[in-house]
Amino acid sequence: MLIVHGVVFYDQFFHRWERQQTAYFDQARSLSKSEQERAELDARKPRIEQFMVTSFGDMRVDRCGTCHIAADDPRFQNHAQPLRTHSYSAAMGDVQRNGHWERRHKFSDFGCTVCHDGQGRGLENKYSHGEDPFWPEPLLGYVTQANWRAEFRPHLKGVEYMEANCAQCHTEENFAGTPHVNRGRKLFFSMNCYGCHRIEGLSEGTLAPDLTEAGKKFRVDYLWESIVDPRANLATSFMPKFNLGDEDVKSLVIFLKSRRGINFAETSLERYRSTHVSETKPQAATMKPAVLSTRAETGHGEQLVTEHACTACHKLGVRDGGIAPDLSFEGLLKDEDWLTEHFRNPRSRIPDSIMPAFRFSDEEFGAMAAYLGSLKTPPRVNEPADAFKTLCARCHGEKGDGKGITALYLDPAPRDLTKAAFMNSKPRDRFVKSIEEGVAGTSMPAWGKVLGEQQARSVLEYTLATFTREPARPLKPHKVPETNPAAATAESVTHGEQIFVQRCAGCHGRKADGKGPNSLDIVPRPRNLRNHAFVNALTDQRMFDSILYGVQGTAMPAWIDYGLSQQDVGDIINFIRSINPKSSGSQYASR
Amino acid sequence: MPVAQKGHRESVEIDEQVIGRRRLLTWLSGFGLFGSAILSAFSNFVFIKPRATYGPPTRFAIGKPDEFPPGTRISLDVRRVCVVRDGNKLAAISTTCTHLGCIVGVSDTGFACPCHGSRFDQDGNVTGGPAPKSLPWFKVSLKPNGDLEVDKGIEVPPGSYYNV
Amino acid sequence: MSDTTKDPGLLATIKKLPGNVWNSIFRNPLPNSDLERASTSFTNFFLHIHPVKVHKNTLRPIYTMGLGLISFFLFLILVVTGILLMFYYVPSTTQAYDRMLDLRGSVAFGIFLRNMHRWSAHGMVAVVFLHLCRVFLTGAYKRPREFNWVLGVLMLLVTLFLSFTGYLLPWDQLAFWAITVGTSIAGYAPLVGQQVKFLLLGDATVGQEALLRFYVLHVAVLPTLLTLLIAVHFWRIRKDGGLSRPADAVAPALSMQTEPAPNVALSVTAVPVARKRLYGLQGFVRGPFTKIGNIPDDSVFSWPNLLMAELFVFVLTVAAILCLSLMFNAPLEEPVNVMHPPNPAKAPWYFLGLQEMVSYSAFWGGVGVPTIFVLLLLAAPYLDRNPKGVGRWFARERLLANTIFITLVLVNVIFIVIGTFFRGPNWSFVSPW
Repeated sequence: MLIVHGVVFYDQFFHRWERQQTAYFDQARSLSKSEQERAELDARKPRIEQFMVTSFGDMRVDRCGTCHIAADDPRFQNHAQPLRTHSYSAAMGDVQRNGHWERRHKFSDFGCTVCHDGQGRGLENKYSHGEDPFWPEPLLGYVTQANWRAEFRPHLKGVEYMEANCAQCHTEENFAGTPHVNRGRKLFFSMNCYGCHRIEGLSEGTLAPDLTEAGKKFRVDYLWESIVDPRANLATSFMPKFNLGDEDVKSLVIFLKSRRGINFAETSLERYRSTHVSETKPQAATMKPAVLSTRAETGHGEQLVTEHACTACHKLGVRDGGIAPDLSFEGLLKDEDWLTEHFRNPRSRIPDSIMPAFRFSDEEFGAMAAYLGSLKTPPRVNEPADAFKTLCARCHGEKGDGKGITALYLDPAPRDLTKAAFMNSKPRDRFVKSIEEGVAGTSMPAWGKVLGEQQARSVLEYTLATFTREPARPLKPHKVPETNPAAATAESVTHGEQIFVQRCAGCHGRKADGKGPNSLDIVPRPRNLRNHAFVNALTDQRMFDSILYGVQGTAMPAWIDYGLSQQDVGDIINFIRSINPKSSGSQYASR
Repeated sequence: MPVAQKGHRESVEIDEQVIGRRRLLTWLSGFGLFGSAILSAFSNFVFIKPRATYGPPTRFAIGKPDEFPPGTRISLDVRRVCVVRDGNKLAAISTTCTHLGCIVGVSDTGFACPCHGSRFDQDGNVTGGPAPKSLPWFKVSLKPNGDLEVDKGIEVPPGSYYNV
Repeated sequence: MSDTTKDPGLLATIKKLPGNVWNSIFRNPLPNSDLERASTSFTNFFLHIHPVKVHKNTLRPIYTMGLGLISFFLFLILVVTGILLMFYYVPSTTQAYDRMLDLRGSVAFGIFLRNMHRWSAHGMVAVVFLHLCRVFLTGAYKRPREFNWVLGVLMLLVTLFLSFTGYLLPWDQLAFWAITVGTSIAGYAPLVGQQVKFLLLGDATVGQEALLRFYVLHVAVLPTLLTLLIAVHFWRIRKDGGLSRPADAVAPALSMQTEPAPNVALSVTAVPVARKRLYGLQGFVRGPFTKIGNIPDDSVFSWPNLLMAELFVFVLTVAAILCLSLMFNAPLEEPVNVMHPPNPAKAPWYFLGLQEMVSYSAFWGGVGVPTIFVLLLLAAPYLDRNPKGVGRWFARERLLANTIFITLVLVNVIFIVIGTFFRGPNWSFVSPW
């Protein structure tokens, strides 16, 4: 017991910081110039040095000076840490006067952690530097924690990470001391992050998590991971993996880390005003679009499209975000009304689109639609192979397997053309129609308008030959009625709904939106049966066929084998049609 | 009989050994226990004595020497100290009344306490009222970065100035 | 035969349930005979602190005035109300005052509980002091009760300290400056004064650390200490032969008691009783009496006499505190303003005597004289070896001791009165009229 006591005692005395301080006293003594100074140093005993800072939120107690005791002693600039003078630099506002540096950000006013993060109250490296993985604020740019991914760690060190904390006070947009924050902010807009993510005072995106306090909530490794591997923490995230270089990612991470939801430079009144008084945006709903000459309008539209970084996702001209469809032929594929409606709310045209709804005025929407509508130059493709590569491979993949670069972000996903079971179970005419007229409610455009009927067919042949490969076998005809014999009465709809809930909701979901509990395990995903445009373009015959006899190559079973009668299916079809009203308006109320 | 005697003697020796060992063990345990008790008491005392406090700091920088022109007496209320500069000599005099801890104000003749009427002269010596001791002088020193530092934990004899 | 009792059956069991539950808790019936009355002292946990019999003189109100009991009951009231108050109080410089406002404003019975706590606290200091006076003036501290007296003085100091630490907790101007004054006085002690002050306050000045430390002392350390001292104090009362009383010097002629009475079977050896006890546990036998030696005496059974007396005192105390709490509110002044000491800043009333003396001489008034007082008190039973005069008020045999005592008490009271009513701004002499 005595021994253990002794050990406990030893542990609580003779701390490392005491040894550091004694070393400092010795070295300062050898540097001192007067007898009096030497005598004072001899008399000094190690003790805890702390700053108590109350100007920055809750009181901070920073004891870093206990080990870093030479931080304000200019004679130690070339010593090893921890006994090194804290650097002076003009970038931090320090000035030289009479050959001496004068510190602008005095430790007694600022402490240490408001700039460096770390744990002010700790007195051992592990805790004070924030190496303990439970501490949410490790030293920015100097310390990585043990549970950070190894491949990220080298990127997360560097003194530039501290700029994130400068921005807590220096919030101006182009502050000279925070180049990475400025670059990150620009990237936030130019890579279109602002469309989905909200940051108070900067953007109003609603599709994605609010990043106003991202720097306060998350460490830099999580921020880095969220950008380069969006699905690391949420398998169903539809955040695209933008093609960014390391420097860009670093700037973005530093910018996001600077978003702490606090602005020490802001007064209480400013803060109150910014949260309570909503910004007045021009009420576009009642505005009639200004009548511009076509040329001016398209010019304006082109400017808007370029400024607002549509190419962060889309392909247009020479720039390609690699995430969304190619807009180069949009004028041929879509009309301006469709484009305007799609701009206002992408989900009104394609229900499962991940494109954010931007806030522009009607006039601006019109201009951009006009610009896109002016893109009417068809592609120069001669061979079907070229046509496939230029137009189809973006979504369907270079190998036709439905894994094109944009495939992850499209819902419904592009068809896997190598699936012979599916490709050979449908009549050719259907595919021809799909290519020529597109598939309503999906991202499959009417390529017929771009390619012409002849070329479209040759592309189909090419596809079947190259990707599907298995020769078609004669199809057994299914006996299905052409129109639904069951009348669309309330009882029929109710009965159909009952069966739907019992049999179909497991994959298609209770809301029939294709998001049932089994949907994540099935490829291709179950159809969203609330896709009005899509469903309204289906014939009864096709619906009967799909339900009674299933869809080969997919998980849709032949329900005739599971006891559904034609009458039942007729009721189901009535139910499905009942939730897809044929109206000309958009699927969801815009705004 | 010799065997029994020998046996008896042996057992006595063994008994003595046993008793000796027992005593030794008891003594050792007692020593250990007592030592631990002393250590515990000392540890408790060290525990209770705070190493870092959260009140106003006792050591603080007051600025550069130039900020205190010769001939001035500047009272820093929050720090409870009055900085006196006489030519090139600097002193820091406490403004906490030695009677019961109120803040003394600077007066024409020195210092005056509003609580119970204690009066002090320019150097902090008591000239009237219930104050029992003169106002202490604190250590002034120059930090390596050029700031003046007052340490209220170290008292210096009144009249000892710091030479700038 | 294995089991002679019949299983009673479910219905009968349920009918008997209340009775069985009652009997499992209260194993003995209410006493009806002397035997049963005697046995209450060891068949009940809470009652076993009492002796089986007490001398009837000790029950006379004029004799002790129940002061010791009153202070004990006040302590109990303080513990209960204190714990209840702990549910709402936070020992933080930023929150304490607001919590006091809550207790006064929104908490149900908050204002009442706080009043009870405050007035019981003041009451306890006063009553403990009066108890000290009573014990001294009746000479009840003499041998063999010296150590009990020492315990009592220690308890007085702990009570004062408890009151002092609690005084700070509201964190208003009254509290803050009273404690500033009090700890400054403590700082005048030579050698250790400043160290002790630093330890108490946890800092150089009264602040968050002081509030926290005072809180811990007030709710945990000191009550535990006081409880321990009270327990030993009661134990010593029993072991020293009960409360002192007149005609205590007569030792019963016990040598005559070795002959057992004919119809009483003694199963014990006659132990010559050196102490002045009237009975012994060993004497508890099946018989009409419970004492060794059947000498007639003036003792009565604790049950019901002592217990009724205690109950009576308890009811009186509680009623008095309730009335005070209804009529008078505990003070709450402005929140702490460190830059603005009130003029004059006064210590709590029980330390005002000290503060008055301090205004004449810091060391002697604050440290020297109080220390001498306490030492005198502690040494009193060891200096006063005159065995006469125990158990009576103002016994003539004790004229000198009583005179000295009353003089010193009066001086202290006068100082307190001066400090309370006759001192104004700058501690100058003012007239209260």
